[in-house]
Amino acid sequence: MRESRESGGRGQDRGRKKQYKKKFLFRKKKFCKFCDEKIKFIDYKDVRLLQAFTPERAKIFPRRIAGTCSKHQRKLMQAIKRARILALIPFTSD
Amino acid sequence: MLQYETVFIADPTYTDEEVDELIKGYEQVVTGAGGKSLKIEKWGKRRLAYSIRHNEEGIYVLMTLECPASLVKELDRRFRMNDRILRHMAVRVESELQLGPSPMMKPRPERDEQLLEPPMMP
Repeated sequence: MRESRESGGRGQDRGRKKQYKKKFLFRKKKFCKFCDEKIKFIDYKDVRLLQAFTPERAKIFPRRIAGTCSKHQRKLMQAIKRARILALIPFTSD
Repeated sequence: MLQYETVFIADPTYTDEEVDELIKGYEQVVTGAGGKSLKIEKWGKRRLAYSIRHNEEGIYVLMTLECPASLVKELDRRFRMNDRILRHMAVRVESELQLGPSPMMKPRPERDEQLLEPPMMP
């Protein structure tokens, strides 16, 4: 189970695997999805995208878990807050 | 002059003709003040994520404008005066992507599916 998750990592991380193993046992390297997809502008109207980053309780997915870089997390935050004002996505789930 | 983008949510009791009239009215205000409207998008009736003034639905309209800053204030005043506008918001256009058709107008899953998956939990 663990092995399969590890081998699912991206090719370019392979060189760093050894160091990584020491610190966190078998954990996939996180990466910023927006950097990876080269998305420069995050639109507050893109509800489906924003919903992926506001799971369950409709809270903004924290950077430490999502792996988003600080630059994109700031833009994402701005977009989510704007979408909330326009009632496109909820402030809370209740 | 700068480019702005304003979205307003009208009361769901508005009919299609009334909405068109409303938009026309605002467009006149814009052109009257020396601005011009670049794009108008009617998203139609959408479910609100939370109720606003006991309404569960609202009619969304997006207007992209090129106008002097004073006009944004004027529009804001007008939106406030109309009791049947549930919510409005104006933002500066930050990217040329905002000038094209918005994600709302796209047929549903056109985007890369992978990005839409929630980020993986550790």
